Amino acid sequence: MRMVNLRAPYNARRLAFALAVILLLGFLLLPSQLQGVFQQLGSPVGWILSWPLRAVASVRDGIADLWTGYAALQGVEEENRQLRKELEYLQGQNSQLREAAAATERLTALLEFKAQVLPSMIAAQVIGRDTGNWYRTIILNKGESDGLEPDMGVITAVGVVGRIVKTTAATSVVLLATDPNNAIAGLIQRTRDEGIVEGTTQGLAHLKYIPLLSSARTGDRVVTSGLVGGFPRGLAIGTITRIDKEEGALFQSAELTPEVDANRVEEVLVIQSPYVPTEGERLGAPSVKPKS
Amino acid sequence: MKALLYVILIAGLVPIQSVLLPHVSVWGVKPDIGFIAVCLVGLFGGELEGLLVGLALGWVMSLFSAEDLTFSMVTKGGVGYVAGLAGRQVAHLTPVALVVGLLVTSCLAGLLTAVALKPNDEQDLWWALRAVVLPQACFDAVVGGALYWLVWNRLNVERWVSEYRA
Repeated sequence: MRMVNLRAPYNARRLAFALAVILLLGFLLLPSQLQGVFQQLGSPVGWILSWPLRAVASVRDGIADLWTGYAALQGVEEENRQLRKELEYLQGQNSQLREAAAATERLTALLEFKAQVLPSMIAAQVIGRDTGNWYRTIILNKGESDGLEPDMGVITAVGVVGRIVKTTAATSVVLLATDPNNAIAGLIQRTRDEGIVEGTTQGLAHLKYIPLLSSARTGDRVVTSGLVGGFPRGLAIGTITRIDKEEGALFQSAELTPEVDANRVEEVLVIQSPYVPTEGERLGAPSVKPKS
Repeated sequence: MKALLYVILIAGLVPIQSVLLPHVSVWGVKPDIGFIAVCLVGLFGGELEGLLVGLALGWVMSLFSAEDLTFSMVTKGGVGYVAGLAGRQVAHLTPVALVVGLLVTSCLAGLLTAVALKPNDEQDLWWALRAVVLPQACFDAVVGGALYWLVWNRLNVERWVSEYRA
């Protein structure tokens, strides 16, 4: 049994009470102003705190690498055999894809498609996860000083990871595509039907607002539509695993398995300046030539 | 000196919470070590220290989370203040009482967060209670109780504190 504090002076109690009341009133009366001030003050604080964060993250990565290296040796022969088989299969597939790519290139040139400008990207490392339990986020080791801003899209070579929601001078918080509070404009690659991809509480995603007449089916891939900021068109989001069609509903929806396993993401690319097509480009309108 | 200790505590808790604790999460829920720290600081340091450490920790933690800055500060600050008030009313604190206190406070803070956030249709109150609030409260209580037992019983910190005060 322990004696708990009984010694705080009367003045301290009064001061604490007054502080609590002032702050509560401040947050109630001037929420956005106070939040702005704290957010701005947080930028340098975030920079300072990013150092212990990076140090702990690098120690953790070192231990993880050591363990993975040791564990990998256990089944290395079996894995090697499997990889050889996979390599043979992929070599065959590669030649087919080269053919398809060459055909696409020819057709693209033929149709005089305007080549999509590749956005500039910044590579960043994942150094942590959300400090709370309410949101699914990851923390990156780059922030405002590296040119990152809220609303920028984050991807890997496999597909979409999420969107930046908060930045400090040296870190950024990325809300994952599997979080129910995230929404990304999506497109079913085969049928070209558009919708909104939202995360679910189970860590998956679903595509909402698919037209009733759409022929979407299980196994269809969903990519970014590029209509609203953050992401250019054609980045993989996920694969449809189930179609939900309710009687009387105006739209159908689909459950997706995300392409990127957010729990294993270690490095990401942040899209700095996404290519956003104009309405004319989107609808395929001919460009107007200036009068000579 | 005390202020420096609190700064070190805050700077140390952020990497623990965001880098190490996700590895011990169960069903995607991890304990809120910041909440536990604020409760203990409030209990043993009084309401002013509880409030200030709670506000600072809430602010700093919100910089590394998608959570609303205001709400994080107000919740943790409030918990620190209430813990300070509770510490004034309680003469003796057993580990069991601390565990129960942490469980109830974490449940209340979690419920308040769930009601205030109302994130979207999918995350209703029942989901919040089942998936986040209750598991986190249990986690907080167990980790808080274990920390208290470890620090006060094993490391005999109270003796150091009384020697320091003397």
